[in-house]
Amino acid sequence: MPIEITMPRLSDTMEVGTILHWHVAVGDEVSSGDLLADIETDKATMELQSFDDGKVESLLINEGEAVDVGTIIATIASEDEEPTADNSPSSSDIPVAKEAEAPTATVHTPSQKQYGGPRVSPVARRLAEEHGVDLASIQGSGPSGRIIKRDVLQQVATEATTCETTAAAETTKVPQPVAPAPIATAVVQPLVASSPWQQDRSVPLSNMRQIIAKRLVESKQTIPHYQVTMTFNMDPLMEMRKTLNVQLAATGIKLSVNDFIVRCCALSMATHPEFNASFGGDCIHYHGPVNVGIAIALPEERGGGLVVGSIKHADQKSLRTISQESQYLSKKARETGLSPEEMGDTTFTISNLGMFGVDNFTAIINPPNSAILAVGSAVEKPVVRNGELAVGHEMTATLSLDHRVIDGAMAALYLKALKELIENPASLLV
Amino acid sequence: MGPVHWHVKTGNVGRRGCSVSVVTTERIIEFRDALNEAMSEEMRNDNRVFLIGEEVAEYNGAYKVSKGMLDEFGPRRIIDTPISESGFSGMSIGAAMRGLRPIVEFMSWSFSLVAADPILNNAAKMLYMSGGQFGCPIVFRGNDGAGGQLASTHSWCVESMYANVPGLKMAIPYDAYDAKGLLKTAIRDDNPVFFLESERLLSTTGHVPKEEYTIPFGQALIRRAGTDCTIISFGRPLHFCLEAAEELAKDGISCEVVDGRTIRPLDIDTMVDSVRKTNACVVVDQSWSFASLGSEIASQIHSICFDDLDNYVHRVHSDDVPTPYAQNLEQAYLPNTRKICEAVRAATYNA
Repeated sequence: MPIEITMPRLSDTMEVGTILHWHVAVGDEVSSGDLLADIETDKATMELQSFDDGKVESLLINEGEAVDVGTIIATIASEDEEPTADNSPSSSDIPVAKEAEAPTATVHTPSQKQYGGPRVSPVARRLAEEHGVDLASIQGSGPSGRIIKRDVLQQVATEATTCETTAAAETTKVPQPVAPAPIATAVVQPLVASSPWQQDRSVPLSNMRQIIAKRLVESKQTIPHYQVTMTFNMDPLMEMRKTLNVQLAATGIKLSVNDFIVRCCALSMATHPEFNASFGGDCIHYHGPVNVGIAIALPEERGGGLVVGSIKHADQKSLRTISQESQYLSKKARETGLSPEEMGDTTFTISNLGMFGVDNFTAIINPPNSAILAVGSAVEKPVVRNGELAVGHEMTATLSLDHRVIDGAMAALYLKALKELIENPASLLV
Repeated sequence: MGPVHWHVKTGNVGRRGCSVSVVTTERIIEFRDALNEAMSEEMRNDNRVFLIGEEVAEYNGAYKVSKGMLDEFGPRRIIDTPISESGFSGMSIGAAMRGLRPIVEFMSWSFSLVAADPILNNAAKMLYMSGGQFGCPIVFRGNDGAGGQLASTHSWCVESMYANVPGLKMAIPYDAYDAKGLLKTAIRDDNPVFFLESERLLSTTGHVPKEEYTIPFGQALIRRAGTDCTIISFGRPLHFCLEAAEELAKDGISCEVVDGRTIRPLDIDTMVDSVRKTNACVVVDQSWSFASLGSEIASQIHSICFDDLDNYVHRVHSDDVPTPYAQNLEQAYLPNTRKICEAVRAATYNA
């Protein structure tokens, strides 16, 4: 019996996986631990390793093709067995005993050439090119998922509808020159009548963009969000950060404001466990470990989007460790992508747009968390200190909360605890 | 001559506000009579033309195609032969090389196999081997294809096998009109022409105008226009193709049926133009599939308009077995309407 390799579930939310690249070809000998393929999940690219020894008998999914978790993607003939002729899943319908007794067939299958990208009929490929349709955005309806003419035309029609709607909406805004204008309206004439960048265009969703769309709509629609904002005096923290960074300069460590906030948030969980909890329908799950997620924006050249890196047991980690982990996660996310392990099991999330000069914003909760902290920048501004006007650093942060778990007063108390730590940062060192 | 039926259609056509009565005349005759007319007219025009074959004279033709021709042209030009295809074919090729223009009737193309050496090795190569000094203006004609319960040895479709040979031309008429127009062109051609008729079509009738006309070789005809799939065929199977197109139209699949008319020369341009429009193609060929007319056309389409195809070219052939005698098996063996429908559905992803 050949060993069937199925699309593994590589993260909690993974429903579909895409084979980015096969590292083996039909006929290759593989041993346990060998790299079989790169698989793109909802947010990460994972390596699929072989758990068995044998010869690759068939690769059933093309590179670029997405299949449901559990789908058979390849078969491996164990070492003492010749590859069988029948690669189709129906072969498993034959009673196992009978198949085992049958003399091993030595029929050789013609080697299946693996092509890059999805299977596409010639005219579908040509039409996609002509209409500027991304083949990767199309699910083929032909045999073995082959993208055929009607798939492309449907996609073109869908995109045309979207563009027409947009165009129609815009046309209505333009005043008609024939109509007498009682009020003088300045009609803005574009300098260049038509250039490519001015035209409407539709870009198909990337895998990640689809997940973001799906999960955040789900979050915003199912979680009763509300926000609580507080402003923090950042002078002591900025002062301490400056001192520490000078002292740590030789070690190559540079603490960011966010590293401090991660630690403050994590430490505040001890007295406010409901911020480290999830709504469970008929119960509230209080999580043991404090795993603080940090939102990481991905560069445009990697398709954009964002991921949440997970700093595990952040309440037990020093600023130095948090800083190192945070930098590692950001770098890896931007360069090669995070593994599900590196993204999983967050219990609370921080989204910081301070480095962009944002004063204040609200974030959408990252399920199954029950809170997310949106952090603005620490800016120098006129402040009142001890009844006098002075110049100091202030930072505004806004909590978005799941009202099913956390009520307003609880949120206020958590922010108060946070404020204690942020404004008295020496306690972070112990 | 066979029975000639005259049908008169009368209709009113409005023109510039006036009502003018127009009379359209249809002359409906049998396929076999169209062949007879083509030969007789060409023999009247050109006294080098003669007809030779088994039973063509005294018996008026095994299938009554040459009915009345002995009476009109006499035994010097309508010549009965013994059962000796190799002999009378070779003799006629000699006559053609010396300046006459023979029409050789094979009772069935199945019997031409014993004359393979003269017709393929001599007729088709004569112009080449004589260095252009003389060619072989000869027509070989007769019944081709199965369908009449004639069993394995007498049911040959020779088109794929013979079309493989360079130096000859080959035509397959679909109806009475084409039978006459193509045969007249064949008789006037200075090259050997293999003219493949179907015994199953001889009694079919169609409009053949009284006026003189010929149909040039190498000009395919769209028998039915459509948008979703091109069906290419020749001769008798075209009738099944049109039936299939009718049936598929009920399911919203619009087929364009192309009649190739001649195999050599092959009007691949018309076929490709159609495929560029439909992006799907089924070739229906009554010969066996291996190394056949169907595989040749499929190959040419793949190489000329690959980027216009939404699927590989599907083919419908006779099954890869000797032709069965039993009627039900013979019908199942042929490229029938059911097989064509299945192929079109598969080619258009409607299976």
